[in-house]
This record gives sequence, structure tokens and C-alpha cells, in this order.
Amino acid sequence: MKLRLFFDNLKPKFSKGGKFEKLSSTFEAFESFAFTPNTVTGGKVGGGYRGSHIRDAVDLKRTIITVVIALLPALLFGMWNIGYQHYMADDIMRVKMGGMFFIDHLLCFVFGFLRMLPIIAVSYIVGLGIEFLFAEIRHEEVSEGFIATGLIISMIVPVTVPLWQLALAVAFAVVIGKEVFGGSGYNFLNPALVARAFLFFSYPSHMSGDSVWIAADLWGTDAIAGATPMGILSSNTELSIFNCQFSIHDLIIGTIPGSTCETSVIAILMGAVLLLITGVASWRIMLSVVLGGGAMGLLFNAIGANEYMQIPFYYHYLMGGFAFGCVFMATDPVTATQTNKGKWIYGFLIGAFAVMLRVLNPAYPEGMMLAILLMNCFAPLIDHCVVAVNINHRKKRWSTAERRNV
Amino acid sequence: MQSNQHKIKKGLDILIPGVATKTVTELSPEGDYAVRPPDYVGVTPRLLVSEGDTVDAGTPLFEDKNNEGIPFVSPVSGTVKAIVRGEKRALLAVVIARSNEKCNVTSAVVDSDALSLRQKLITSGLWTRLRQRPFGIVPRKDSQPKAVFVTTFDSSPLPVDIEFILQDRKEDFQRGIDVLHAITGHVYLSLEKKDRPSFLSETVNAEIHYFEGPHPAGLPGTHISCISPINKGETVWTVGAQDVAIIGHLFRTGEYLPERTIAICGPCVDQSQYLRVIEGAQVNKITDGHLVAEKSQTGHLRIICGDVLSGTAVTNDDYLCAGCDKVCVIPEGDYYDFMGWLRPNFKKYSFSRTFLSGIMGLMDSSKKHNPKIHNYDFDTGRHGSHRPLFVTGEFEKLVPLDIYPMQLIKACIVGDIELMENLGIYEVEPEDLALCEFADTSKTEIQAIIREGLEKIRKEG
Repeated sequence: MKLRLFFDNLKPKFSKGGKFEKLSSTFEAFESFAFTPNTVTGGKVGGGYRGSHIRDAVDLKRTIITVVIALLPALLFGMWNIGYQHYMADDIMRVKMGGMFFIDHLLCFVFGFLRMLPIIAVSYIVGLGIEFLFAEIRHEEVSEGFIATGLIISMIVPVTVPLWQLALAVAFAVVIGKEVFGGSGYNFLNPALVARAFLFFSYPSHMSGDSVWIAADLWGTDAIAGATPMGILSSNTELSIFNCQFSIHDLIIGTIPGSTCETSVIAILMGAVLLLITGVASWRIMLSVVLGGGAMGLLFNAIGANEYMQIPFYYHYLMGGFAFGCVFMATDPVTATQTNKGKWIYGFLIGAFAVMLRVLNPAYPEGMMLAILLMNCFAPLIDHCVVAVNINHRKKRWSTAERRNV
Repeated sequence: MQSNQHKIKKGLDILIPGVATKTVTELSPEGDYAVRPPDYVGVTPRLLVSEGDTVDAGTPLFEDKNNEGIPFVSPVSGTVKAIVRGEKRALLAVVIARSNEKCNVTSAVVDSDALSLRQKLITSGLWTRLRQRPFGIVPRKDSQPKAVFVTTFDSSPLPVDIEFILQDRKEDFQRGIDVLHAITGHVYLSLEKKDRPSFLSETVNAEIHYFEGPHPAGLPGTHISCISPINKGETVWTVGAQDVAIIGHLFRTGEYLPERTIAICGPCVDQSQYLRVIEGAQVNKITDGHLVAEKSQTGHLRIICGDVLSGTAVTNDDYLCAGCDKVCVIPEGDYYDFMGWLRPNFKKYSFSRTFLSGIMGLMDSSKKHNPKIHNYDFDTGRHGSHRPLFVTGEFEKLVPLDIYPMQLIKACIVGDIELMENLGIYEVEPEDLALCEFADTSKTEIQAIIREGLEKIRKEG
């Protein structure tokens, strides 16, 4: 195979003592991207190794690419929706597009695609650049985790986000959220949410309000006013206004203003199905987030003290980043709880806190983001408690055995 | 009362083609034999012979400096041909060239109290067949375990039929159980739950337990945890079923006869079957005429003493490892796989369902090997790069023990002895977590980590 020959010829230059020794991690990343390495169990062909001689075909690249594939429906829908929102916000266009044809949909998609391209590019170039740099400094292999993280970041920001802010946020997320702890697998906060939180708290005017969600033109950060469901709820407590603006139908399909690619519950569910079939994401976490959100929503419905509390509980599943966070971010195995029992607790509390933040503090429409980040912090504690039960159980057995033997 | 029927739910049967057919071929005893100190955990050998010495079957070759008075003996009569040393002059093997005269040492058959049985077991060299848990070491002379566990079935990939192997050694096996019972007071015998009756279930002097379910249903670690988990400060012994028969033969006839029936099996084996050999035989004696290199993409083969999940890789010039019941041969996976992480790949097996093969496996509920469905290429390829350990939820489906595997592995990595103890390190041997190592996305060498953790406790404790 010619490509294999190409890599074989280059390899000595990037190996120890070669001309480009300093770029060995970069070379390894590209080589292992093209070819799964020929490493065998035990490190060498022949005798001596003791352990498992056969290994499962799965590796982290496979796992990450599965997440990326699961993100595609939401990404593609999001691109279309960016264009759709743009044209719908324009009154003239709306009249013209009274009945949309295929070519109009294509126009919407192309517009959204062109808007998303720089966002994705900035996210990947900045994030992967830092990842490669750290890998070279540490003489480690480049981890593939950012392939999913980088895409997720670009999917949860407003379409009008200034690219320099995005670049800063990605850099902050990768360096402070991940690399200072040792890189992929050692971070305790979801890096995509760190980026989102960085933007939210540093540049709130670009991140919330009514005038960030719909792109005014193909370039630049100008926006057309158009509120998201969460925005309307936080500024206006009249449910009737909300209801006539967004039908459940719109919320499920996702033809509403919002972050670039997290509006369509259906597209997200398609990704969820893939993640659940492949087992890449924990069904325990997904289910318990839904249960937690529903339980808290029902509780507020029962109290019903104000208009927020009267929002039917199932609306919470459909609005804001709940669905996206539940499927793609709460389930991040690095930052979630590791024990099965812990996953139930962790997920339930994320759902419950997300709805609680939305209802009790409407100034923060980003309830899901904050809930997940909060529970990321508590995940080790939850695991500690779950494992402590096992430890106590074992110690009890030890002491009964001792008493029996005496 | 505690039931003696156990159903294991967690685990995985990895179906590899090439299971041994039930025919036994007796191999000629010609050739070289060796005893290998590295097969025994934590042994620092002190040599008792030198090159050129004449030895009999049963003559001590070396003993452990840390556990004196327990000889490791020669399996055959002959002369010491070589003393193989490795790095830092570590003793790797004592090689004996077998001579033709048959002079198996026979001694008087003792049938007396526990103490003299124990003494006889030690001096005969058969004591080294015992393994003590925790740590997987040869027990001390005065060790008093709470019980002995004998396992009579194999659930690992390419299983051997131990009942078939033992069927013409019934008396030896029973006598071995009697001896172990007399020495320790309690023997647990683990049987596979089957529809047809087995002669093993008529064994006396042992408490019989039946197990069913996927691998590791046949590992002693699983049985111990179901029947009587090891508490801190306690020890148990495990003995292989064939070793019980060898012990029994000594006490029944007075003859030291270290003969085993081992399977030669695996996808790269022609005429997979059972072979009767003397222990410590050279590997090429076993593999001769059976290897099929064409099944391997690169022509390289991996020969494994023991099972593919926790055995030892050997070459044709090596010698059989202690206590091995099978030799498995699989292709080496030292080839590059173009876009291996992306292709759907029906031929590669994955437990994770990120491959189509995994999803197919999900739909197939039959446990039998079906070449139409289970037509996977198993090789020694690692199938990916090493990454930090963070994908969760895999191990819990594979470990039937009452432990948290991920947390235990991490405790071993950081070397926190108290945490390891609390998380149940005493209840495991590396082989109990072999399936985790197999399925692990991050390609971590879990068994080596567990062994290191156990060794750290053993040395510091």
C-alpha cells in the first residue's frame, strides 16, 4: 500500500535521533489516524509476555468517532436551522418562502454551513493546536478526545459568537479545563462546558439576550432580534405569549432560535440512539437525567406558585440545552461518576438541578450547563460514597470472620 | 443453608475456533525438560544442582530462599544439561536432558496423620503445586488455609475438558482430594453444572459446588468469592485438577509421575487434540506438526502456555510452564490496519458494540460456537494505542466478584495499600480481571498492574 510506504519512509525522520524528532507526537497522531498501529500485546512478537494475549477491537479512536457520528444529525440540522432562522427573521423572505421548496431548504443549509464552518474551524485549530503542543512537550501521544470536544463546543455557542472570543474560550477550556490536570482523561470538568461557561461569564452580552441567536448576514456578528424559548421565559412570565410563539411541534423539530446545533430534540435523539446501541454513552446517566428533570418539573407543577413553576414539566426536556446536555455532555465518562450506582445519582441530580435553576433563577437560562458543571465537581464525591458502601460491607465481613475464628 | 448451585451472570465467553477434539495422543518421553522459576510468583531460587549432575525424577533442583525447605524437583531422570540465566543472572530455567533408563523414584505409601502427609507432600516436590491466595504464591510449610479450592472445569477461551482428562485417573484424583482434605480439613470442589451426571460429583471428602454461566465462571477466584470470600488475614489454597491427580498418584502408588494431558488448540493449530506429556517438556515437542502459519497475516504465530487471556507467551525452544493445561496458538497481530478505527469491520471481535460484530453478537443469544456468526479473526494485535483509563461501565459487566474493578486498578496504580485492601485486592488474582484487560478501551495492562499491587503488599506486609 502506497500510503503505508509513505509513512514507513517518513518514520525514521520523526523517530529518536531523526531530523524532526521534536514532532514525533504529531507524526504518531497522523500515522495512527491512517493506520491502527501494529503493536501486539506484550509489546513484541515472541515469548515472555504474561497477560491477555488477545484484545478487543475497540480503542479510544473508535469510541470518539462514534460520538462524532452521533453528533452529525444535530450538526446537520443545526446548519439548516441557522439558515432557516435567518430567512424567517427577514419578513420579505418569510413571505417569499411561504411555501418552501427543496432549493430554499438547500439555501438555508448552505447559509448555515458557511456560518458554521469558521466556528468549527476556529474551535479545532485552536484546540487541536494546543493539544498537539502539549503532547510534544510531554512526549506523549496526542489524545483524540478533542475531536468530539471541539465539535461539541462549536455546536453549543450562539451563531453570532465573535471568533476571537471563541478562540479564547477554547484555549481556556483546553489549557485550564484539561491540560493543567494532565490532559484528556484526567480533567474533572467537561471541557466543552468550560468553554461555554467561559463565554457565558466573560462576555454575557454576546451569549444571552434576544439579539445573538439569529445571524443577520453571512459574515460578522450582527444579529437579528429573536428570542429563544428560555429567553422569553426569563423575560416574560406570560405563558400565553410563550405558547403562541413556540409550539411543542417547533420545540421537538427544533425550528427555533438557539445555540447553533442544540435546538432539535429529534436530531439529538437520533444521536442518543446510536450512543445507546453502541454503548458508548451510559444509559443510566441519560435515563436518570430525564427522570431527575421530570421529577423536579412535576414537583414545581404541583407547587405552582408562579408562572415559571406552571411550565409543564415536559417543556423542560424540549427547551434550551437540556436534551443536548443530557445526551452528549452529562454522559462524558471522564467527568461523570464511574460507578453504576453513582451514575444514577449523578444523572438524577443533573436533571433536577437544571430544572431547579431554570425555574427558581430565571436570570440564568443556562440551567443545564451549570447543573452539569456542578455535578462534575461532585462526581468524585458520589463515587467515593458508593465505593465506601462496598468497603464497609467488606470490613464488616472481615470482622465477623475474625469473631468466628477467635 | 447456603446453596451449592451458583449462577454467574456477569462475564463473557470469547468463542475462538480450534477447540481440542477429544482424542489423546501419547508423546514419546524423549528430549529435554525444564523447571522454570519465573512460573512461580515471588520465588528467589537457590540452586541445589549444577550442570552435569545426574538427577532422578523427584530430585530437588532448587528451593526458594524466602520459603526454605520446599524443593522444586526434576520431572524426569537424566543429567542437568543447562542452567539458563537472564538479566542480572536471574535463574530462568534448569534444563534436564532425559536419559532412557526409567527410574522413577518410588517411596513407601504413607497413610497416616496430617503432619506426615504434609511432610511427604513437601519432600516429594508436589507441595509446589499448591497456590496460596492472596498473592498466588507457593504456601509456606506451616501454612494453614481455611480451605482448598479445586476447579474441575475450564471456562476460558478454547476450554479444555478436565473431566475428559481425568476420566482414567479417577482413583488418583479421589486419593489426591483425600490427602488435601486430611491436611487442611476442608476441600471445595467446583463442578460445571451439566445435564448428564459426572463421575466427579461422586467425589467424597469434598464439598461440591456447581457453577454455570460465562467465563470467569470456571476460575477459582469466582468460586472462592461465591463460596467463602477471603477476608484480611485469611488464606486459601487452590490446586489444579490434574495436580490433584498427580498428588493422588504419589500417595496411592508411591510413584512421582508428573504426567499431564494438555490440549494443543487454537485457530493456527492443525489437528487440535489432547497430548499426554511429562511436565516441563520442550514446546516444540507439543507443537511439532500442528502449527499452521498461513492463518497469520504476517506468518508470525504466538504460542501461549495456558489460556489466551492470562497465559504466558513462549517460543518453540522454551519449555512448558508449570501447571498449564493447554497450549494455544493464535496469529500475531503485527500488521497495520488501514483506518481500523473507522471501518465497520465484521471480522474483528468487540465486546463494546462499536463494531458491527458486537451488535451482531448482541442479537445472537446462543452460547454455541457458530462459525457463521462467530467468524472472527482473533490475533495478538492490541488494536489501538494506550490511553488514560477512563471509559467506564465495561468492567462492571465482566467481573462477577463483589469488587469495583476500576477503583481497585487505580488503587494499584497509585500503590495505596490500605485502599487496595479495602477494595478487595485479597480476593483477586490477575487472571480474575483478565477479561477487563481484554475489553479495556484504553489498552491498559491491567493484570500486570494487579500483580504489582499484590507484590507490593506481599513485600511490605
